[in-house]
Amino acid sequence: MRRLVAIKILLHDGATTAGAVLGVVAIIFLVGQQLTVFFGLLNFMSAIVDHSGADAWIVSKKTDNINAAGSLPIRYADRIMGLHEVEWAEPVLSVGGLVKRKDGRFQPVQVIGLARPRLAGGPWRFSEGSIGALLDYEGLTVDQLDLRVFGNPEKDDILEVSERRVRIAGITKNIRGFGGTLVFTNLNKAREISRVPADRCSNILIRFKPETEIHQGVLKLKKMLPQAEVILTESLSAQTRLYYLKNTGIGSSFGFSTIIGILVGIVIIMLTMYTNILNRQKDFAVLRALGARKRDIAIVVFYQALFIALIGIFIGFLLLALFLSGTRDSRLPSYMFSWVPPAHGFFTIVLCLLGSLLAMRKATRIQPASAFR
Amino acid sequence: MAKVAVRLNEITREFFDGKQIRMVLKKTNLDIYTREFTVIAGPSGSGKTTLLTIIGLILTPTSGRIMIDDKDVAHRSEDELAAMRMKKFGFVFQNADLITALSVAQNVLVPTAIQGAPVSAESKRAMEEILAQFGLASYAYAMPQQLSAGQRQRVAIARAMINAPILLLCDEPTSALDIESSTTVLDTLKRLSQDENRGVVMVTHDPRVFPYADRMIKLEDGEVIDDSKSGGEEKHEE
Ligand SMILES: Nc1ncnc2c1ncn2[C@@H]1O[C@H](COP(=O)(O)OP(=O)(O)O)[C@@H](O)[C@H]1O
Ligand SMILES: [Mg+2]
Repeated sequence: MRRLVAIKILLHDGATTAGAVLGVVAIIFLVGQQLTVFFGLLNFMSAIVDHSGADAWIVSKKTDNINAAGSLPIRYADRIMGLHEVEWAEPVLSVGGLVKRKDGRFQPVQVIGLARPRLAGGPWRFSEGSIGALLDYEGLTVDQLDLRVFGNPEKDDILEVSERRVRIAGITKNIRGFGGTLVFTNLNKAREISRVPADRCSNILIRFKPETEIHQGVLKLKKMLPQAEVILTESLSAQTRLYYLKNTGIGSSFGFSTIIGILVGIVIIMLTMYTNILNRQKDFAVLRALGARKRDIAIVVFYQALFIALIGIFIGFLLLALFLSGTRDSRLPSYMFSWVPPAHGFFTIVLCLLGSLLAMRKATRIQPASAFR
Repeated sequence: MAKVAVRLNEITREFFDGKQIRMVLKKTNLDIYTREFTVIAGPSGSGKTTLLTIIGLILTPTSGRIMIDDKDVAHRSEDELAAMRMKKFGFVFQNADLITALSVAQNVLVPTAIQGAPVSAESKRAMEEILAQFGLASYAYAMPQQLSAGQRQRVAIARAMINAPILLLCDEPTSALDIESSTTVLDTLKRLSQDENRGVVMVTHDPRVFPYADRMIKLEDGEVIDDSKSGGEEKHEE
C-alpha cells in the first residue's frame, strides 16, 4: 500500500514528477556525457602508449609524459636486442611537422616514425589501407577524422610535410593524440622531416620473450642503461595521463562541470520533491490520522525518490546512448568504461535519495491533527 | 449493552497562539459510549475539534488521562498511538479528504495496509461488502473526483469502517453537503451507531444533526456546558 500510494501520487502529480525526473535525467546525461568526453580525452593522452604492443619503454631521464620525451642514442636498441630475455626492441621517433595543404595553408602535426620492417608502435585501426603501407619509403598515414584539416586529400595523394614529399598510403580510423593530429610514417621519413641525426630516436619499445618475467627484465635493462629511464607500458600510460590532468587543468575543468551537473540535478530533485510534498500535505496528514506512522510516511517518500530515480536513469541513459551513437566517429573524444554506467546509475540513485531528504523531513513532520484543519 | 469506549479524565489542552498560552479545552471528564450517537455541538472556536482529536488519539492532551480498556494511553509513543488509531477508530473529515490519487477501493483499503502489511483477501472482501452496503459497489474503481460530494463522504465512512472500529469520529461531515446527501450520510451514521460494539461521535454546529443525537454535548469556550441524553431513559451501565 505504501508503494502504491507513493507511485499513484507521483502519477497523479505528473507535472512536478516530470520536473523531478528531469533532475535525474540532467545528472545522468550531463555527468555521463562529461565522463565519456573525459575518458575519451584520457585515452587520447596515452593512445600511442596503450596501443604500442610493447611491454616496456626506454625513454630519456625525467620523462613524465610520452609526448615530451627527450632523445636517446639509437644504438641502445641494438644493445638490448642482444639480450636473450628480449623478443624485440624497436626505436621510435616522434617529431613535430607542418603539413602543407593543397590550398597552401599549413597544419601542424605530430609525426611518428617507425622502424621497418616491424613498424612497432604503429597505427592499430584502419579505414583504408594497412600498416604495411608504411614500408614504402614515402608512405604516411593520416586519420579519417583529420582529413578535413588537411583539405580533404584522398589515399595516394601526395602531400608535403615540412617540405618533404609524402604519399598518403593509408587512412587510420579514429586514432588521435591528445595534442591533436597524429600521422605515422617510417623512421627515415620522420628523420628527413625533422632533421634529427640518424643516431638518435625518441624512445625504444621493448617486447620481452614470453618466458621472461617482465619485472626481472625491466630491472636488468635499468642496470644496463643507467642514463635512460626504463618504464613499464602501463606506468608510462598512467604517468602521461597524470601529467596532463595535473598540468592542463583538464581534470579540474571536468571535475567542475561534473559537479555543476550534479548540483543542478540534485537541486531540481530537491525542490520538485519538496513542492510535491507541500501540495500533498493534506493527504499525508490524513494518512497519519488513519494510522500511518512517521516511518510509513518516510517510506512513501523513499519509494517516490526511488521511482523518480529509476525512470530518470532509464531516460537519461537512453538519451546518452543516442548522443554517443550520434557522435561516434566524430572528432569529439568519447569513451566509456563498462563499469561506469552501473556506478553512475547507482551513484545517481544515492543522490536522488539524498535530494529527497528535505521532502522526507517535511513530510514526516506533518501532524495528523492538521487533517482536521 | 453499551460500553465505555473512551474515558477522558481531567483532560485539558493548551495552545500557544503566538502571544500567549490559551486553555482551549478546560478540565473535562467524559465517557464516550458505544451504541450511541454522540453529538458535540458548539460555536466555531469552542474547542469541538480539539476535543474530538483528543478522543481519537490524534492530539495529545496537555494534562489528564485517556482511558481505553482501563489503561491510560494519553502518553503512549507516537507509533503506539498510530497503531491504536488504526485499530480502534474510524475518522471522517469535513470534506471527506479521500486521497485523490487513489481509486475508491484503494482509499477504503488504506487503513488496513498503510503500516506496510499486504492487503489481505479478507480486507478486500470486507471492502467490497462495505461498498455494497453503502450502494457504492459499482464505484469501486472510480476516482474520487468522479463522485459527488455525498458519495465521497460515504466512501470516507466506508474507509472509516474497514477495520471495524469501536468509534467513528466525524468532524462536521455534513457541513459541505446539500440536504439530501446530508440526510443519507446522517441516516448511515445513525444506523452504524446502533451497534453495541460501535459508537459514533460527531462534531457539528449544524442544527439539522441534533434530532439524530442520542446524546448532546454542548461546548462553549472550551468547556462542556451541557451534556444531555435524549429519549429520557438511562441506558448506560455505570
Ligand atoms: N494548532 C493550534 N495552534 C494554536 N491554536 C489552535 C490550534 N488548534 C486550535 N487552536 C485554537 O483552539 C481553539 C479551538 O479550536 P477548535 O477545536 O478547532 O474549535 P472548533 O472545532 O470548535 O471550531 C480555536 O480558538 C483555535 O484557534
Ligand atoms: Mg472544528
